[in-house]
Amino acid sequence: MSNQKKRNIQIEAFKHKVLGDPKYADKTWKILEHAIHEIYNHNASGLSFEELYRNAYNMVLHKFGEKLYTGLVTTMTSHLKEISKSIEAAQGGPFLEELNRKWNDQNKALQMIRDILMYMDRTYIPSSRKTPVHELGLNLWRDNIIHSNKIQTRLLNTLLELVHRERTGEVIDRGLMRNIIKMLMDLGASIYEEGFEIPFLEVSADFYRVESQEFIECCDCGNYLKKAERRLNEEMDRLGHYLDARSEKKITNVVEKEMIENHMLRLIHMENSGLASMLLDDKYEDLRRMYTLFRRVPDGLQKIREVMTSHIRDTGKQLVTDPERLKDPVEFVQRLLDKKDKYDNIINLAFNNDKTFQNALNSSFECFINLNPRSPEFISLFVDDKLRKGLKGAIEEDVEIILDKVMMLFRYLQEKDVFEKYYKQHLAKRLLSGKTVSDDAERSLIVKLKTECGYQFTSKLEGMFTDMKTSQDTMQVFYASNPELGDGPALTVQVLTTGSWPTQPNVTCNLPAEMSTVCEKFRAYYLGTHTGRRLSWQTNMGTADIKAVFGKGQKHELNVSTYQMCVLMLFNNASRLTYKEIEQATEIPASDLKRCLQSMACVKGKNVLRKDPMSKDIGEDDTLFVNDKFTSKFYKVKIGTVVAQKESEPEKQETRQRVEEDRKPQIEAAIVRIMKSRKQLDHNNIITEVTKQLQSRFLANPTEIKKRIESLIERDFLERDNIDRKLYRYLA
Amino acid sequence: MTKEDTVKLISAEGFEFVIDKEAAMVSQTIHNMLTSPGSFAETEHGEVTFPEISTTILEKICQYFYWHLQFASGKETEFTIEPELTLELMMAANYLHT
Repeated sequence: MSNQKKRNIQIEAFKHKVLGDPKYADKTWKILEHAIHEIYNHNASGLSFEELYRNAYNMVLHKFGEKLYTGLVTTMTSHLKEISKSIEAAQGGPFLEELNRKWNDQNKALQMIRDILMYMDRTYIPSSRKTPVHELGLNLWRDNIIHSNKIQTRLLNTLLELVHRERTGEVIDRGLMRNIIKMLMDLGASIYEEGFEIPFLEVSADFYRVESQEFIECCDCGNYLKKAERRLNEEMDRLGHYLDARSEKKITNVVEKEMIENHMLRLIHMENSGLASMLLDDKYEDLRRMYTLFRRVPDGLQKIREVMTSHIRDTGKQLVTDPERLKDPVEFVQRLLDKKDKYDNIINLAFNNDKTFQNALNSSFECFINLNPRSPEFISLFVDDKLRKGLKGAIEEDVEIILDKVMMLFRYLQEKDVFEKYYKQHLAKRLLSGKTVSDDAERSLIVKLKTECGYQFTSKLEGMFTDMKTSQDTMQVFYASNPELGDGPALTVQVLTTGSWPTQPNVTCNLPAEMSTVCEKFRAYYLGTHTGRRLSWQTNMGTADIKAVFGKGQKHELNVSTYQMCVLMLFNNASRLTYKEIEQATEIPASDLKRCLQSMACVKGKNVLRKDPMSKDIGEDDTLFVNDKFTSKFYKVKIGTVVAQKESEPEKQETRQRVEEDRKPQIEAAIVRIMKSRKQLDHNNIITEVTKQLQSRFLANPTEIKKRIESLIERDFLERDNIDRKLYRYLA
Repeated sequence: MTKEDTVKLISAEGFEFVIDKEAAMVSQTIHNMLTSPGSFAETEHGEVTFPEISTTILEKICQYFYWHLQFASGKETEFTIEPELTLELMMAANYLHT
C-alpha cells in the first residue's frame, strides 16, 4: 500500500434515502403506482423512465420486491376490470373494434411497465419463481377480459358470425379478425383452441353439411365439384389471411369430409353427370377436378378406380360381343385401339398418370378382350390389313406407333398360341403373294413379338422370311445355269420349309404342258444340289401372269391364281368346255375349282369367261367359253387374289381343333419338366405349376391337364402313388 | 454526429456526457428506455439523468461503452479499472444492466 497515491479511500454514505425510513417503501410504491395509472391513461410522456426504473430498482434491492409485485398485480387487475366494463358496454359492431383497441393499448402499456420493472424481472422473479411481468400481463388480461362471462361468449359469437357472413359472400374487416385471432393465440394455444377453434370447426361442419346437401340436390356432378373446389380454396384463403396456420389441416378436413366424403358415392353414380358419363364424354377438366378433390379423402381414389374399372369392363364387353362389330375384324380391332387411346388420354390428362389407374385399366382390358374367343384372330387380321395396305406410304415412326399399340393388345390376350397360328397363316399369304407393304415393318413386328414371348414363338416366322430370301437366290442360280430356259415361261419358285409354314393339304393339279417341263427341270436341278429332300408343288398357293388376246384384238395381261391359269390354258385348245371336262383335265378339287371359275365368270369387270346358263353359281352341267367381248380400262387385270379373310364357321372350327391338338404336347412337356425336377407332386400343385408355366402362351384347362396326366401314366412317364391317389411320381 | 445519433447522459453533479446512441445501447436499461413504446420524457428530449451516479463513475461507464463496441469480440485488450472505483462501478453496472 505504500506506493499508492495519497488518497483517502472513503466509503461515502449513500446519497439516496436510507433504509431506515419505514415509509420509504410505501412512498416509492406510490410513485410507481401513480406511474402505472398514467401509463394506462396514455399519459406517460411526462414521466421519467430513469426515475421510475430507479425506484423499482431500489425497492427490489431493499427487499421490497414482494410488495412491488403484489402491488403491480392489484393495480393491473383493477385497471383491467375497468377496461372489461368498457368493452362490455360496446354494442354490436364496435365491440370487436373496442376489444382490439384496448388490446393494443394493453400491450403497449405492458411493455412500458416491463421496461420500468426490468430489474425486478431479472432478479426478484426468478428467485421467487413468480410469473414474469409480460406473461403476468397476458394472464391477467386473459382472466379478466376473455374469461369474463359477459365477454367470452359474446366474443366467440361475434367472430363466428363474421366468418359466416364472409362465407355467404359479405366482405368483412379481415385486419380486425387477424388481430383478434392473434390475440387469442398470444394468450395461449389452448385459449385459441377452446375459445375459438373448436367451436369454429363445429360451426363450419354444420354450415358445409347444410350447403352440401343443398348443392347436391340441385347441381350436377361437374358443377358440384366446382363449388366444392371453390369452397376449399376460400377456406385456404381465409386461413392465409386471418386464421392460424395450425388450423389448416383441421378446417380442410372438415370441408373435405362434409362436402366430399359424405357424398362421394352419390356423386360418382349420379345419373347423366357422374363418373360414367364424364368418362364417355372425355370431360378432362371435370375428371381432373374429381381426381384432385377425391385424393384428399381416404378411399376417394379407390372408389373412382372401382367405378372406372367396372365401366370399362361393361362397355368393353358390349364392344366385343356386339354382333354388328364382329362382322368387320379390322374395324373391331380399331375400336379396341381407340378405346385404349381414349383411356390412356384420360389417365394422362385427368388422373395425373396415376399408376394404380393404369393398372386398373390394364386388368379391365385383359378381362373383356378375352371374352371374345375370336380376338386373337381379329388382331392378326388387323395387322394383316395394315401390313398389306394400311401402312402404305406411312413414315417409319407412325408404323412403329401402330405396331406398338397392337403389341399392347397382344399382351392382353390369354390365348397367345391362337394368335400365333393365325398370324402364321396370314403372314404366309402375304409373303407368297408378295403383298406386304414394308419388309421392315414385318421384321419390326417379329422383333417385338420375340421380345415379348421369346425366341420359340418367332423362330418359325423368321424361318419363313429366310425361305423367301433363299428362294430368290436359288432362282437366280437356276436361271444362270440354265440359260436356254430364258425363252420359255418365266418361272419363280418359292421353296418353303415344311415345318415353318402353315400346314397345307396335299393338292392335285395338272399343270399345262409348257409349265410342267420347266417345273420338272427345276425339280431336277434342286434335288441335284440338295440331296435327301423331297419337293411337292403347292399349286393352291401360286399366281400366274398371262397375256391374252380377246375377240376384238384387245390385249390384256391377266394376273390369276395357278388354278385359274390351268383352266385358262385349256381354252387355248378348245373354245367351249363343260365343267366336267375342265374338272377332269385339271384335276383340281371341286370346291376350289368352283370358286376359281366363279371369280372368272361371274364377277363384273373380271369376267374373262362366260357361262351358260348365266347363273351366279357354278353347276355341274354348266358350259364355259371365252368372253370375246371382255373389256377393261386397264391393261393389267387382276383376278382372284388369295386374300386373307375372316374364317367361315367350319374353317374356324378346324383351326381351333388344330390349336387344341397343338396344346396337348405342350401341356405334356410342361408336366414332364415339372415332375422331373420335383420328383413327386400332388394333383393340385401340378395343375397350378403347369398353368403358371404355360401362362405366357395360353390358359390351360385343368380337365385337359388331367387327361394328359392319365396319358402320361399310361405311357409310363408317371405313376400314381398306391396310398395317396392324388400323389404322382416321376418315372425316370 | 447528428443530433439523432446521440444521447446525453447527465451525472449526479450535472455533468453532461454526449455519446452515440449505439454506445449507450450497450446498457440494457438505457436500451429499453430508448426503445420503450411509451413516450417517456427521456425519449422526447434525448437525455437521461442519473441522480445516483457520480461523474467519475459515469465517465468510466462511457469509456466502457466504447471499449465494448470495439473490443468485445474477444480481442485481448484489457479494460482497466482502478480499484477505488470498483464498488461503485459495480453498483452502477448492476443498475444499468451492463
